[in-house]
Amino acid sequence: MFRYIVKRILWLIPILLGVSFIVFTIMYLSPGDPVTMILGEGATEEAYQALRTQMGFDQSFIVQFLNYVRGVVFDFDLGRSYVSNRVVLDEILVRLPNTIRLASWSILFATLIGIPLGVISATRPYSKVDNVVMFISLVGVSMPTFWQALLLIILFTSTLGWLPASGFTSWQQMIMPVFALATSSMGTIARITRSSMMDVLDQDYIRTSEAKGVSDGRVIFQHALRNALIPVVTVIGLQFGALLGGAVLTETIFSINGLGTMMVNAIRTRDTMVVQGGVLFIAFIFTLVNLCVDILYAYIDPRIRSQYD
Amino acid sequence: MLLTSKKKINQAEEEMLNVPQGSWAEIWYELKRNRRAMFGLFFILFLTIMAIFADQIAPYGMREQNLSNALQFPNTTHWLGTDDLGRDILSRMIYGTRVSLTVGVSAVAVSLIIGGILGVVAGYYKGWIDTLIMRFCDILLSIPSILLAIAIVASLGSNLQNLIIAIGISSIPVFARIIRSGVISVKEQEYIEASEALGANDIRIIFKHILPNILSPIIVQSSMGIASAILSAVGLGFIGLGLEASIAEWGTMLNAGRGYIRTHYYLTLYPGLLIMLTVLSFNLLGDGLRDAIDPKMRER
Amino acid sequence: MIKQKNKLWLFFLAAVIFLAACGSSGDSGNGSGGEATADDGEPKVLKVANGADPVTFDIQQTNDQATTRIARQIYDTLIVQTNDLELVPGLATEWEEVEDNLYEFKLREDVTFHNGEPFTANDVEFTLRRAVESPTIGHIVDSIDPDSIEVIDDHTIRVGTSDTFGPFLTHLSHPAVGILNEKAVEEAGEDYGVSVVVGTGPFEFDEWVTGTHVTTNRYDDYWGDAPEIDRIEFNTIADPSVRLIELESGSADIAYDIAPSDIPAVEENSELTLMNTPNLGSEYLGLSLHNDTPLREVKVRQAIAHAVDVEAIIDTVYMGVGDQMSGPINELVFGFNDDLEPIEYDVNKAKDLLAEAGYPDGGFSLSLYVGDNSQERIRVSQVVSEALAEVGITVEVQQMEWGAFLDSAAVGEPDMFLLGWTTVTTDADYGLYPLFHSNSFGEAGNRTFYENERVDELLDAGRYSTDQDQRLEDYREVQEIIHEEVPWVFLQTRENVTGLSNRVHGFEHHPTGSYDLSVVTLDAE
Repeated sequence: MFRYIVKRILWLIPILLGVSFIVFTIMYLSPGDPVTMILGEGATEEAYQALRTQMGFDQSFIVQFLNYVRGVVFDFDLGRSYVSNRVVLDEILVRLPNTIRLASWSILFATLIGIPLGVISATRPYSKVDNVVMFISLVGVSMPTFWQALLLIILFTSTLGWLPASGFTSWQQMIMPVFALATSSMGTIARITRSSMMDVLDQDYIRTSEAKGVSDGRVIFQHALRNALIPVVTVIGLQFGALLGGAVLTETIFSINGLGTMMVNAIRTRDTMVVQGGVLFIAFIFTLVNLCVDILYAYIDPRIRSQYD
Repeated sequence: MLLTSKKKINQAEEEMLNVPQGSWAEIWYELKRNRRAMFGLFFILFLTIMAIFADQIAPYGMREQNLSNALQFPNTTHWLGTDDLGRDILSRMIYGTRVSLTVGVSAVAVSLIIGGILGVVAGYYKGWIDTLIMRFCDILLSIPSILLAIAIVASLGSNLQNLIIAIGISSIPVFARIIRSGVISVKEQEYIEASEALGANDIRIIFKHILPNILSPIIVQSSMGIASAILSAVGLGFIGLGLEASIAEWGTMLNAGRGYIRTHYYLTLYPGLLIMLTVLSFNLLGDGLRDAIDPKMRER
Repeated sequence: MIKQKNKLWLFFLAAVIFLAACGSSGDSGNGSGGEATADDGEPKVLKVANGADPVTFDIQQTNDQATTRIARQIYDTLIVQTNDLELVPGLATEWEEVEDNLYEFKLREDVTFHNGEPFTANDVEFTLRRAVESPTIGHIVDSIDPDSIEVIDDHTIRVGTSDTFGPFLTHLSHPAVGILNEKAVEEAGEDYGVSVVVGTGPFEFDEWVTGTHVTTNRYDDYWGDAPEIDRIEFNTIADPSVRLIELESGSADIAYDIAPSDIPAVEENSELTLMNTPNLGSEYLGLSLHNDTPLREVKVRQAIAHAVDVEAIIDTVYMGVGDQMSGPINELVFGFNDDLEPIEYDVNKAKDLLAEAGYPDGGFSLSLYVGDNSQERIRVSQVVSEALAEVGITVEVQQMEWGAFLDSAAVGEPDMFLLGWTTVTTDADYGLYPLFHSNSFGEAGNRTFYENERVDELLDAGRYSTDQDQRLEDYREVQEIIHEEVPWVFLQTRENVTGLSNRVHGFEHHPTGSYDLSVVTLDAE
């Protein structure tokens, strides 16, 4: 088990390096010169050249990349924003709590609603209830998050005036973003719960228990759900990563000061350092959450563990 | 965002997808009995017709402005109202099917071709090349796909081709993984070993024996993949990274209507509804196909 | 079985703890902004919804409006430009031109910086020398000859210009030339402008949470009239419709830059007031002479100007905000030529002009670039493209990211482009020289690459003269030539549009778009 964990943690390094390289390449290829953007209109050629050298843009792509990696690895220095000259790490740490909070509440909400819905469906397969629940889940998956967010604003802010449309401090402010972001994960979780649950219900030992006359409710909750939840847990872990990405649009609409809004703005202003730092952080959290899920999963299911030992 | 969520769920669904399939006739027979899947299929056909014959169907031109008629609520001359430049919303929604379907299908084609090659190579040859490809997929998967797409579009510039590339690239890993696991499971079956023993070359084995056997999960995934690609495309359009604004595109329409959300709700309501129905149709079809292909499901 | 059950519970426990930890860490990281307002003493807090996050409060490193709107409350300038564009004493009590191109300023003696340091001529010297070096705002003070700056005593300083420069004093009133404290800047180093901000203004910097808000508190030792409000919170809210919602819900007292599409909502709300006044900005469609296109024919450019219905653009895209321009600068700017008439919308005339130029049915195509940061300009690009299609000109619209747009327009890539210009100094020199002088090609402002010897000559004359009558004469002629040769299709004047809660009194617009909030008073809630 220990070897497995160490091995998985070591895998983080090449993955983060790779993420970094891909993002660096994309940003390097972007048109729009950061130096001109910093200097603004009316800058002299000397000022331009001086800043260019100072920022290391006169060096080759690969040298720039290696310098960046060296900074991150040895000094844990994510650099400074080209635009505001602020320390990227600080910029991220200010916003990270909002994004994590949004994603965490959403996943919690999605899980608490999604699993029961899936269970209800699985216990009454092909019934009216099942059809309705599954249809709603699929609608949830099919609705663009941002459109749903707009509809919520129309209803709860413009029409009813119940909820504020921006910010992310009070619980009132959190309802709409969390709901909008959670819907699609909720649908996904409900769907996975249902199919996994149905697989388990199909297995022999459940039938045996039924034959023995154990009451229905106990069968479902003691045997089936417990086994069915294992794949669901994996999906929840993966959904958390998806929600971090999904936060991009949600944050923009509700003016939440999170990593998503930060990165979209940074991509637009060619603020490579901020984009890099942000993506690295999100990739790191995402891989870490999945690592945790996998470790716990391996802990639960000895078959998986044996693959890695 | 949904692209990511779908992508993840696929890992869990992979196993479910990899089941022996019945004949195509059987599958079609099963599919026909599934009302939801048929709704999806018919709606997709309907959209396709709208896209192809938009010029004939749409009551007004895509760019046709009438500034003095701007922001009209739905009425008899403009069934779904007019936008801020007096363009007919219904017509622009009809023209918008072109972009969405093109991007959806082409982006999936891009990820299917690249992901397919990667997946086949990884699954067939195994060893270090498999590890390399799968690590590459892990890397791509750990960047939220919408961010990846935003960055690519921002860097390449936004036109139809770049939109397709950006969205296509971000779902390469999904296809690579599914196809890889399909290849591995087929390859393990004995008849491949037999033909290998007979000295058939790799390419021949791949095309003759492996691909036909993993076609069904690919079809199912493609249907769902188109749904996600359309969502990504409208997402990009919505944050203003889509096509140039005079081209009718659903996401851009939502973006333009956003400013009028309080007074002219219909600018965001109808295009959004159409997006949802379109995505839903592809998902319903994908669901139906999976059920039809999976004999285990059929027994019930 | 039992063992496995326990494991599963453990798993869920871990998951829940993780979520709870995430939730609470988020809670603790936030919320400080809201609590401070609920103190017992009921401080008067003015909440302002600002459209963008400031860049840095080292005001010599940036020149953007979001920053200036806040920085103006923190810093003072030597000379103040009133809302009516008059120059009145600020930190300088009086000034005179003691020799040709050499000015002597007498400074106030009762001023202290927010860090307690007294304000002296050395700070002025430091500020001006640093400003001249600044790549970002250097152009505002580039007329200053750094060698001429001489501190006479603690409260007297002389500053000279290298050439005669008409609008010199106006430039000194630019908020970017706010006076810095030498000691504070030197001590803070890289942190200056981010966590350390020191000025002499009515409000002192308190806190800046990037992307969220900036707060400033009343500075009790302020030299001028003490503001009535205790504290200002500038909340960054990028989405204009959300700014409006904040205003309506009472979360904001002042919302800057109400979107045209939201104007009716403010006007119809009895608890809100809409303030819109013309500013120094103007919008234009640039017709580039850089590329070898029919645009090099003056008649083609005139035709395009006649083909675009500017009134309709104002009505539909800008919801009636702004007036059609008759030339490149508007009436608030010194040097405005009031004899010129707006170019009228006349499709037939446009067609005739095209025919005269040898393009009877149009039949050529032009590219039109537009930045993606303005919904309104994107809409205008679509209107223009349709309008030109009417006269047979095919327009290929390229919608680009703002930075990329500026870059490509600066090198003359687009045939046409949509852009604006704000004559912040209120003087025609700034409103014309960077845009039409052949010295200013590209990045400096002349993105149409327009060149006319007479215009160059007149612009030079205006710049290096202090004879205001002669300057007026020169600038009037420049505008006539430009009106005739149409390197721009003049669109509309821009307006400052602010939404105010009825609790707010005393707020007034300044044509530059950055407003003095020290005079604002607030009714109790």
